[in-house]
Amino acid sequence: MSTKTFRARIRKSLADQNLQLSLDGNATRRRIGRLEAFSTVPDLQERRMRAHAIKADVVAHLEEYLRRFITQVTRNGIRVHRAADEKEAIHIFLEIAREHDARLVAKSKSMVSEEINFDHALEPAGLQVVETDLGEYIVQLRGERPSHIITPAVHLTRAQVGQLFHEKLGTPYTEDILEMVATARRVLRQVFLTADIGVSGVNFGVADTGTLCLVTNEGNGRMVTTLPPVHVALMGIERIIPTLDDLALFLSLLPRSATGQKLSAYTSLIHSPKRFEDVDGPQERHLIMVDNGRSVMRNSPLAESLYCIRCGACLNACPVFRSIGGHAYIGQDGSIAPYPGPIGAVVSPALFGCENFGQLAQASSLCGACQEACPVNINLPDLLLRVRAGENKNNKKQAEGVAVPAFLNLGLKAFRLAASTPFFFSTGQRLGGLLSRIYSPFKKYFPLPAWTGWGYSKDFPRLEISPFRARWNRIKQEVNPENLSIHPTENPGESASTLPPSLVTRFTDELSALGVKVYRLPEKKVKASLAKLLRERGIERVAVDDIGEKYVTSFKSVGVPDSTILAGVTGALMGIAESGSFVLIGGEAHPLSASLLPDIHIAILRETDLVPTLAEALARPEIRAASSAVIITGPSRTGDIEMTLSIGVHGPKEVHVFLIEDLE
Amino acid sequence: MPKSVTVQLFVTCLIDTFFPEVGEAIVHVLNRAGVRVEFPAAQTCCGQPAFNAGLRSQARPLAEHTIQVFEKTAGDIIIPSGSCAAMFRSGYLELFKNDPHWLQRAQTLAGRVQEFTEYLVDVRGVLDLGSRWPGKLTYHPSCHLLRSLGVDRQPSLLLSCVKEAEVIELPERADCCGFGGVFSLEHPELSAEFLKRKIANLDKTASPTLVVCDAGCLMHIQGGLKRQRKDQQVVHIAQVLDSQ
Repeated sequence: MSTKTFRARIRKSLADQNLQLSLDGNATRRRIGRLEAFSTVPDLQERRMRAHAIKADVVAHLEEYLRRFITQVTRNGIRVHRAADEKEAIHIFLEIAREHDARLVAKSKSMVSEEINFDHALEPAGLQVVETDLGEYIVQLRGERPSHIITPAVHLTRAQVGQLFHEKLGTPYTEDILEMVATARRVLRQVFLTADIGVSGVNFGVADTGTLCLVTNEGNGRMVTTLPPVHVALMGIERIIPTLDDLALFLSLLPRSATGQKLSAYTSLIHSPKRFEDVDGPQERHLIMVDNGRSVMRNSPLAESLYCIRCGACLNACPVFRSIGGHAYIGQDGSIAPYPGPIGAVVSPALFGCENFGQLAQASSLCGACQEACPVNINLPDLLLRVRAGENKNNKKQAEGVAVPAFLNLGLKAFRLAASTPFFFSTGQRLGGLLSRIYSPFKKYFPLPAWTGWGYSKDFPRLEISPFRARWNRIKQEVNPENLSIHPTENPGESASTLPPSLVTRFTDELSALGVKVYRLPEKKVKASLAKLLRERGIERVAVDDIGEKYVTSFKSVGVPDSTILAGVTGALMGIAESGSFVLIGGEAHPLSASLLPDIHIAILRETDLVPTLAEALARPEIRAASSAVIITGPSRTGDIEMTLSIGVHGPKEVHVFLIEDLE
Repeated sequence: MPKSVTVQLFVTCLIDTFFPEVGEAIVHVLNRAGVRVEFPAAQTCCGQPAFNAGLRSQARPLAEHTIQVFEKTAGDIIIPSGSCAAMFRSGYLELFKNDPHWLQRAQTLAGRVQEFTEYLVDVRGVLDLGSRWPGKLTYHPSCHLLRSLGVDRQPSLLLSCVKEAEVIELPERADCCGFGGVFSLEHPELSAEFLKRKIANLDKTASPTLVVCDAGCLMHIQGGLKRQRKDQQVVHIAQVLDSQ
């Protein structure tokens, strides 16, 4: 029987010691990381409610938002395609690939691509798809599906990855994570540089501006959207938000919820393909908007699950996920659900059929930890209950409780009969009390056989021969005439007497926390200081943009840097104090690859260009006007192997900021 | 003299059937807080087990019965269980969402519902009931109480006023114990895993007593302790507040 398969998978996961260690590590670190990251957001609850309201509005008026979004994206020069289902999406992609005679596809993480079986569907057409997110790359080499939305290889230990690289890539076996990361960097760099098409997902599409926002840490998202001549973005149609201001709100929630970061290392904001004056960027950008059941689901009792921003926080909070991992979420047919965890237990049956995946919703104690962790406050317990009750995307009510085992179904019906009148109920109580007294004459708790479910891990209490209702009339009430009332003292609010730190202090503190070296100096000293840094590193050739060019005295290269160039020196449009980020825009004399391909990136900006918050940064017209912009927050990083932070996966390993002092 | 107050007790089927002594403690504590208790004898079960299993057609008659029984009474309805109180407050609204007639009745009823500790602290303004419990205590916040009702401050405040009690924080306190109603029967392996973690965390506190506000967690964790032949006692908060 099918549920047995699911239960068998659960047992297998529970018995796997490696997996249990990995999952415990994931739960503990991610939960703490999330709490710490939100400790600086006092209005978190208001933000969650606002985010919820925005997504509710978008999902309720999706067609209208889609029209606005698609109009803007098209106006920006990106070709938009709409795919009703998996087949259409693949077909559209193959057409694009054929047009460009493509062979090699470099792909960054996209959940919707998992949903449409993208990688496998392209194989027969002779296309090689290489996953470039480290975790995705690892599971692709193993021929597996990701086991977590954010950390695809969370189920593996470093030894397993070391062995995998040894077998598949021929490198010597190692358990040194940094060495494995270096191997992946080397191998995948070639893929980025030679791929015919770069494929990415989209975290948010902004309806007002047509912005495609992509959030990554390793830098592979930037690579695949910057280097190959063609970029194809895959996006679920529900991933729209109305404005850039809303984007600032969602970006304050997503990375904190996903990885405990104030912002991810790279937040790309893409508007158009390479323009005539741009130094780099793809000649063509396409956006494939995938429906795959969403428009139908939008009008169903499960619509709220479309508010999901795929942060994975519910997985990290969920005690079920912590116990079994993503690969145990399987359908009746044994196939692994594309979306695991609490959100997966709703979305998978909602999109791909309750018949197959409805059983996932049964595996929940309805503890609500998922909703509590959800940055969009999705009422996951209620949605799980709706799946259980047979509500689905077609609004055609199925039989309720289909996945409930027969003995439970029967038991609950018997209980319903007994509880339908007080007489039956108290008769049942007394009968049960008598029987359990005979079964266990001396002890309140007695063992039950394992097959009952309860008896698997605990004893059961005797029913009382004299239940509360029988005792009621014997209870003597002596109501205290005294007034015990004391009004509970409210916690006195923290007195906010300390002055907020200055923008510069905040910015430099945040940068230091990210491991970025900051040099605060007057403008006239920048040249010498920069020359000293490059000399110390033995670097003779650097990539520059127009700002960098003014300050670098050694060999300079403007354009896409080659592999001999070890450092990039660029200006920055502005710095964001709250997260220690800085913003780069592409365009004339602004190669975005100069801050991406070299091992070291040096950014030069002025104190006067600091803004306090992301929202203020996103309001600047230069961002909107650029073909492409990126918000950089620290060096390239990953936690994909054993959740261990490793720096310098695909992008720069070192970031330096020269902050030019403001003259009084 | 404060005017006397009368409340209706929905004792819950678990306390009624398995732990009537908890029900008695609840009445005593409410009396001590200056409240007279009435017990509508026709009450049975709120329908939560079937509702949570997805069997809404089975849950509905019990919900309707419960609404009818309490509609005939007046005053606050006190529920000594986070999950049953949540069933009244939000479960019924979901259950009757497509039936305006019953939905309205359910909403009216939901407005009268108070969880036991919530009522004592927020409505009665009582913190110190003159209770005494020599020794260590640790508190497990039940899932629905904590997350659906948002009640956490109240039981903590009440326990902090218990004389001679040393309240110790339970590690990973807010993690589910694995009861989840029918979940514990349908997915015994998962339920066992949660329970194992909960008991391991309880062991870390070295507290002989675990306090809960829900008889579901009580019978689940106590049942696990008995199976593991451990000595810790799980008690309902009313039993602590009733002891002098």
